[in-house]
Amino acid sequence: MLLLALQISIFNQIHIGGDVTPLLIGYMLVCFQNDVSRTGLLVWGFLTGFLFDMFSNTAGMASASCTLLAMMQPKLLKLFSTFDPNEIFTPNIQSMGLWRYLTYVFFCMLVLHTAFYALDAFTLQNWPLTLIAIGGSTAMATLLCLFSEMFVRRRK
Amino acid sequence: MWSLTEFFLKHKHWFVFLLLEVVSLLGLFSYDGYQKSVYFTTANGIVGNIYSAVSSVTSYLTLTSTNRELEADNERMRQEIIHLKAKLKVANADSIVNHGLPRHYSVVSAQVVNATLHRSNNLITINRGTKDGIRPEMGVVCSRGVVGVVCLCSTNYSIVLPLVNTTSRISCRLRHSEYFGTLQWKRGQSDITYATGIPRHAKVKMGEVVETNGYSDIFPPGIPIGFVKRVEDSADGMSYLLKVGIFANFENLREVSVITDYTQPERKILEEQADSLTLN
Repeated sequence: MLLLALQISIFNQIHIGGDVTPLLIGYMLVCFQNDVSRTGLLVWGFLTGFLFDMFSNTAGMASASCTLLAMMQPKLLKLFSTFDPNEIFTPNIQSMGLWRYLTYVFFCMLVLHTAFYALDAFTLQNWPLTLIAIGGSTAMATLLCLFSEMFVRRRK
Repeated sequence: MWSLTEFFLKHKHWFVFLLLEVVSLLGLFSYDGYQKSVYFTTANGIVGNIYSAVSSVTSYLTLTSTNRELEADNERMRQEIIHLKAKLKVANADSIVNHGLPRHYSVVSAQVVNATLHRSNNLITINRGTKDGIRPEMGVVCSRGVVGVVCLCSTNYSIVLPLVNTTSRISCRLRHSEYFGTLQWKRGQSDITYATGIPRHAKVKMGEVVETNGYSDIFPPGIPIGFVKRVEDSADGMSYLLKVGIFANFENLREVSVITDYTQPERKILEEQADSLTLN
C-alpha cells in the first residue's frame, strides 16, 4: 500500500520528456516468491492495477498490464534464476545475484510498461514516441526497483 | 468428465488470467475516453468492411433478378420514348412552335418546298397558304433567326421574300448599342448581307448580334438575324456599312415558322390615316 501511495503521489507526477512515467507498482509483483499460487498472484496483480487505475484515472490500463505481469512473473523468475524448480526462494539481489536480478526486473518492467503504454497509445501512429515511453519508463522503473531493493536490503 | 475437470483445475490460472484481462479491457473500453473512440472507430471500420464484403457477395448472387428488373425497366422506358415521340410529332404538327419569340405571338410551322439561292431575286416557297391563316407581309423565321417576309399567298402555298433577295429590306438594330439600320442583300454569298444606315458614332463590336428592331409590324423586336463580320464605310461616307453573317442557313433550310398574329390592324390603320393627313 505504501508503494501504491508513493506511485500515485510521487511517481505519477514524473513525466520525463513528456511521456516517460515509471510504474513502480510492478515492483510488488516482482517481489513475490516462487511458490505463490498463480491464481492468487493474478488476483493480486489485478487488484494492484485496479487500485492504481482508480486513483490515476487510467480505467483498466494498469489492471490489464499488472495482470499480464502477474501471469508472466513465474516464467520470468524461472528463466532468470538458477534455483531448482522445487526450491522456494524470494527474488532479490542476494538470492539471484545482481545481474540476474537486474535482468529479471528489467524484463518484468518491460512487460508491464509495454502493455501499459501500448494500451495507452492504442494505435500504431506515433509509434516512435510509444517506444521511447516504454524504453524510458522501463529503464527508470528498473533503476528505482534496484534502488528500492538495495534500500530494503540495507535496512534488513 | 473427470479429465475435463482436471484440465480446468490444471489450467485454471489461464482462465483467471483471461477473465481478469477481459474485465480490465471492458473497464478500459467502457470508460468514455480515447481508447473507446478508437475501439469504436476501428470496430465500425471492420464491421463496415464485413458488411461491404457480404453485400458484394449477395449482390452478385442476386444479379439475375436485378438484370430481370433492369430489362423490365428498359422495356418500360422504350415504350415511353415511343409514346413521347408520337406526342412530340403531334405537337409539332399542331404548328405552335416558338422560336424564342414572346409567348403572345403565335406562329404556324411550315416546310420549305422550293427555294432559289443563286439569283438576284431569290424566293422561297412554303407549304402553307391562306387556309392556314398566312397573309402577305408576315414574318418568316427559323430556329436560328429571321428568314424573310411572305410576299404572295395562295390557298395552300406562300412565297417568301428571303433576306437573300436584292429587293428585301428589313429593319434591324445592333443588340447592345441598339443603333438601327436596314438590311440589304447584294448578290453573291447566301450567308452574307449588309446593314446600312448605322451612324458613324456608333461603337460597333465585331461579332455583335444584329436583330430585328420591332419598328415594322412584321417582326417583333429581338429576333436574331446575324452577327457583325466586318465594319466598312458606306459609299457616301456618312454611315457604316456592316457586313453581316446570316444565322439562318438557306442552303439546307427546311423547317420555318410564319409569325401570324403580330401585325396589329389598329396600328396599321392609324399609320395609314397619318399618311393621308400628310398628303392632304
